Amino acid sequence: MSLREVFERHSERRYIMFGGKGGLGKTTLSATCAYWLARQGKRVLLFSVDPQASLSDIFQQDIFGKGAVPIVENLWAQEIDADRRIKEYQDEIRQKILDMYGFDRVPEEIDSYIASASAEPAMEESAIFDAVVDIVVKGDYDYYIYDLVPLGHALYYLSMAKVYDEWINKITKLREEMGQYDQVAATLRRQEKVEEDKILEELQYIKSRINTSSQILTDKQKTAFFFVLVPEEMIILDTRKAAELFARFDVPISGYVVNRVLPEELRAGNIPAYLKNRIRMQDKYLAEIRNSLGSQILAYVPEMERDITGLPMIERLARQLFEASR
Amino acid sequence: MADEDKPKKASLFQVFRDIVYGMSSHEMTRHAVRSRASMEHLFILITMGDLLGVPILPPYYSLRLLPYVTPQISTWKRRMLRERDITDTIG
Repeated sequence: MSLREVFERHSERRYIMFGGKGGLGKTTLSATCAYWLARQGKRVLLFSVDPQASLSDIFQQDIFGKGAVPIVENLWAQEIDADRRIKEYQDEIRQKILDMYGFDRVPEEIDSYIASASAEPAMEESAIFDAVVDIVVKGDYDYYIYDLVPLGHALYYLSMAKVYDEWINKITKLREEMGQYDQVAATLRRQEKVEEDKILEELQYIKSRINTSSQILTDKQKTAFFFVLVPEEMIILDTRKAAELFARFDVPISGYVVNRVLPEELRAGNIPAYLKNRIRMQDKYLAEIRNSLGSQILAYVPEMERDITGLPMIERLARQLFEASR
Repeated sequence: MADEDKPKKASLFQVFRDIVYGMSSHEMTRHAVRSRASMEHLFILITMGDLLGVPILPPYYSLRLLPYVTPQISTWKRRMLRERDITDTIG
């Protein structure tokens, strides 16, 4: 099957992700895929969940923190500014404390907690994933294409989502039990009714947010997850390991794209020994990839003679990826 | 005034009610409230553990809960960090 057929047969898959080790061309392939789908008349949002996003570079246009920016007809791209989102969120929390208790200023202890919480490394990722929920639940687009963070982060998030979910179930239960004690005390004191538990409401909200983002990652109907790899030994090994892990977290893996394949025309003529060796090495790994992944390989992408930046280059790659077959 | 008599009667009844309450269910109420309070502390620990250096909930989401537990934070910290001795086990 080719990449094109996968999209044509499974038009219900609206959440498209390319995963793989860093630097293998995930962003390039996401952008190319988004571009092609937009060309087919679909409304597409390509967004980056990577704190070091590079969509601005690939489209040669500064889109960082500017919301969904139109690129070509039917295609929008967005880079989430996690820092700003965290700052706004902190201010929101501070304001809420001031409003709730009529303080002039946030108590020092609390304030320093708010400040230090944001210094946690997990904060940025959580903020981005939370922002993604906002983007995705609106449902304004036919396709949502994630420019994913490198594998480790995605796995971390997936495993955290499972842990958080169970954990939140537990504290929600504790909270409900606490509510029962309130009820008992209130009944014994013949009070009319118990105050509604705002914390329980918040917990349920948090739970729904975490669930939404992890559900999308593991939704077999609506999500397609493609692995990107290159014909090199370490990458093949790592990809195999990652694929196993992803499968364990129920991520629906839809296929593999082999990137950076040395083009055929290089083989012709008198070529230097260095290149000859590279080609021989690639052939070996390509055969290995073909043996182990077989029909799951959806496309081979040739190594280009220059960087893929700017729309003309993306268009060229899109033709290679969706129209050429090998 | 007629208005003044009414609350007096009511408060007499109230006193009676309070006495009955004190004799019968006050102890139970106290128990419920105390259990509730220690659960509250447990709850703050597992959500705001960061304040003591025990990170549990993702900080992004624990901040959402912070406004609701702000008043309890200082008593909670005192309770969690104070030294314990044999008298703790009594009562």
